[in-house]
Amino acid sequence: MNTKGKRYAMLFDLRKCIGCNTCAIACKSENDVPLGVWRSWVKKVEKGRYPHAKEFPLPIVCNNCENPICVTVCPVKAGIQRPDGIVYIDPHRCIGCRYCMASCPYGVRYINPRRKIAEKCYWCHHRVDAGLDPACVVACPTGAILFGDLNDPESPIAKAIAKNAVQVIKSELGTGPQTFYIGLDIDAVETADTEHE
Amino acid sequence: MHQEAFGLNIAIYFYLTGLSAGSFILSTLAYGFGMEKYKPLGRVGVVLATSLLIIAPLFLLFHLSAPYRAWHLFVYLNAESPITWGTFLLVLYPINCIIYGYFMFRENWKRTRIFGLIGIPLAVSVHGYTGFILAFGKARALWNTALMPILFLASAIVSGIALMILVCIVKDRFFSKKKEINKDLILNLGKLLAWAIVFDLFLVGSDLLVLTISHSDAQAAAQLILRGEFSFMFLFIENFFGKLLPLVVLLVPRFRNLATVTIASFLVVIGIFFMRYVVVLAGEFVPLL
Repeated sequence: MNTKGKRYAMLFDLRKCIGCNTCAIACKSENDVPLGVWRSWVKKVEKGRYPHAKEFPLPIVCNNCENPICVTVCPVKAGIQRPDGIVYIDPHRCIGCRYCMASCPYGVRYINPRRKIAEKCYWCHHRVDAGLDPACVVACPTGAILFGDLNDPESPIAKAIAKNAVQVIKSELGTGPQTFYIGLDIDAVETADTEHE
Repeated sequence: MHQEAFGLNIAIYFYLTGLSAGSFILSTLAYGFGMEKYKPLGRVGVVLATSLLIIAPLFLLFHLSAPYRAWHLFVYLNAESPITWGTFLLVLYPINCIIYGYFMFRENWKRTRIFGLIGIPLAVSVHGYTGFILAFGKARALWNTALMPILFLASAIVSGIALMILVCIVKDRFFSKKKEINKDLILNLGKLLAWAIVFDLFLVGSDLLVLTISHSDAQAAAQLILRGEFSFMFLFIENFFGKLLPLVVLLVPRFRNLATVTIASFLVVIGIFFMRYVVVLAGEFVPLL
């Protein structure tokens, strides 16, 4: 990880998340995501049985991994990792071979049915470069999402990560996800027997 | 959310490159290594290998969402990506096949031998790299195994021999001057096929055994092909009808004759197609999140 410059990361505080899907909708309108595909979505896991039941929401975006396998396998170098950690796809370069989709452990990529290329969440880098927060961060009604620079110890996200027990999805794969969660439930990241929304 | 990444087109592509690599290696037995009894396979093998490998990349084009950008593969290279390795192999291998075939038909044995021997590592790579494509899909338990390239090569040899038997029979029966099938050659190829199937079954078995006791995703993958949606294809079509039944027919001398070897080869050719199908589609069947 680069320790000079900026190193962006995202943090979901699941204690605050109410599973309202506002982040998913804000993302759709910000990024012009067509029907049927999503850059971010909220997976919901039910635990327990009535009357002792609870639903756990898990908002999912691209992890913008430190070690992105999608960038490794892209045959035309359309997958690019910026020095600040954001992983994006060059829309003019992508040929739609879907190798990144096949290799991504988080299933965050899709083929845009209109543009015929692979797309995914890149933390709204067009907004970030303009000094704004990503659309989902701004839209979240409970302020459950933080976005910022991990290398700046005074940033809210760096403080929150330093003070709380955080978790990433599938850390065992060595991809080094940079989307962190507070209060991630073990059942929410289970692979098998889960419904995809 | 779950879009299929590699579908039927990729399975067909893997199948065709496997057949091509298998046929090529058989054709070099006589012209590269001087095994005289396999001489009749030389020309059939090189014609099959070349034509299959010219058809195969078409399925890659069908697979691309933006096929008009396929030229990017030759311009923007990523040495870490198996698909980029394939870009080179899919150019070099068919060219070498054509040169090898040209010298064979011109009966220039010395040069045939040279290009046959150059072709072997190319044939192995052109199919082996497809195994790496899947093995690099690190999130998919069924794909992410170092066995994948050798498993693919074993099934390539199996399907290559079986296809060669079928083509030789059709060629001898309908297109040769004597209209007579070379029975010794067919039965000999049958034995070769049997041993290739044994090796393939060993690899499939090892892969499966380790999957069933490995981490949770691997266990889910094993369940999927043993008891889940792909179990019928995997257990019955691929392994019972495609490998075990032909193996028994080929190994027990009482069953072994021209007709049964033909049927066994036919079953094998079908079975290996389902092997490709199950590996590719079952591998990405379980949603990841």
